[in-house]
Amino acid sequence: MNKNKKKTFEGLFSDNTVLYSFMVISPVIMCGNTVKNALALIYAFSAITFISVIVSSFVPKSIPYSVKIIIYAVISALVYIPVKMTAQEYFSEVVARTGIYFPLIAVNSLITVQTEAKFFRMPKIKMIGSLVCHILGFDAVMLVTAFIRELVSYGTVNNRVMDSDFMISGSGTVFGGFIFLGLLSGLYRKISSLSENEQVNDRGEENVSGN
Amino acid sequence: MTGVKKMFLVTEFIALLGTNLILMQALGTSTLFIACNSKKNLVFTASVITFFTTFGSAVSYFIDRFAGNGKLSDFRLLFYILATGFLYVFLLSVFYFVSRNLFEKIRKYIHISVFNCAVMGTLFTVSEKYSGYSVSLSEYVLGGFQAGAGFIIASLILTSAYRSLNSAKVPVSFRGFPAMLIYLGIISMAVYALK
Repeated sequence: MNKNKKKTFEGLFSDNTVLYSFMVISPVIMCGNTVKNALALIYAFSAITFISVIVSSFVPKSIPYSVKIIIYAVISALVYIPVKMTAQEYFSEVVARTGIYFPLIAVNSLITVQTEAKFFRMPKIKMIGSLVCHILGFDAVMLVTAFIRELVSYGTVNNRVMDSDFMISGSGTVFGGFIFLGLLSGLYRKISSLSENEQVNDRGEENVSGN
Repeated sequence: MTGVKKMFLVTEFIALLGTNLILMQALGTSTLFIACNSKKNLVFTASVITFFTTFGSAVSYFIDRFAGNGKLSDFRLLFYILATGFLYVFLLSVFYFVSRNLFEKIRKYIHISVFNCAVMGTLFTVSEKYSGYSVSLSEYVLGGFQAGAGFIIASLILTSAYRSLNSAKVPVSFRGFPAMLIYLGIISMAVYALK
């Protein structure tokens, strides 16, 4: 895979929003304890972030930086309104349960920080690809976290009772979220370093055989 | 200091920890991680966040009175962002007139301390806490200030362990942020138990 393509897809794994950049972690810690919560937040995060970043990309670059940031936040707050209305149709219970965390999705770091620092420095098509990968990267972490935490803390998956003997009730709480995410990011780093080493070894072998 | 006073202070401190933004609600954790690279950054970020939680809560008092719980409540986020945006421009203008150098230094990253879960989360938390009660403006301001103070306390707790969590004794995969998350989790568990 060439370097450009690699850069577009890095949001999925090597530059993961949650596990690598440690952004948007509070919804994962607080609400990523059941699959139902996770699905509602995945929907909200994906819709709000995708639409907001795309719309924000049309904001003229000549506007002062500080004003642009406010405009991006206002755009995401406007996008949040129809997204919340739709969510209330399909996930009404979850919207009520997640409380303040649902609107907070609209001020996530992908919109307020990464837009200027990363996305808007790319050509549009590449930006869309990278944005989608970053969103999918968050979605995957949210889903995996919610699946494991729900199974371990409540013995259920998406409210269905599982035949699980391994239970840690505290993993559904805030401190459980912190600790679980810490362990998951440690594991992610280990896997990343192993795969990097493997790639270096492969390149080394290729060079040796090439010589 | 008498024993009763000491006990009172300890109880107050535990109460403050019990409502802590980061330890109890995980709000602003990403911002804390971005800022904790240097003590200077951390002090600046914590001060800016406290400014915005305090004055933002004051403005949110009037927004809550205006928006209420009706149809306009869905626009609350938009109003909060507009209010925070106004305060943000005001603070930047103050920096611009006080010191041009400082303004140039901070203008590229001050927004990280403004448009984040810590500030917005506080406005929503304070609003939710007093929803349905007739409270005064000072209670909103106090709630906002407490949240900011909570962020400062969590920053101090994290800073005290920052070196150890980044030391060579910690396995490479867990060094830095993963260890910080686990550390915050353990502190959060302790506060949870004290509550």
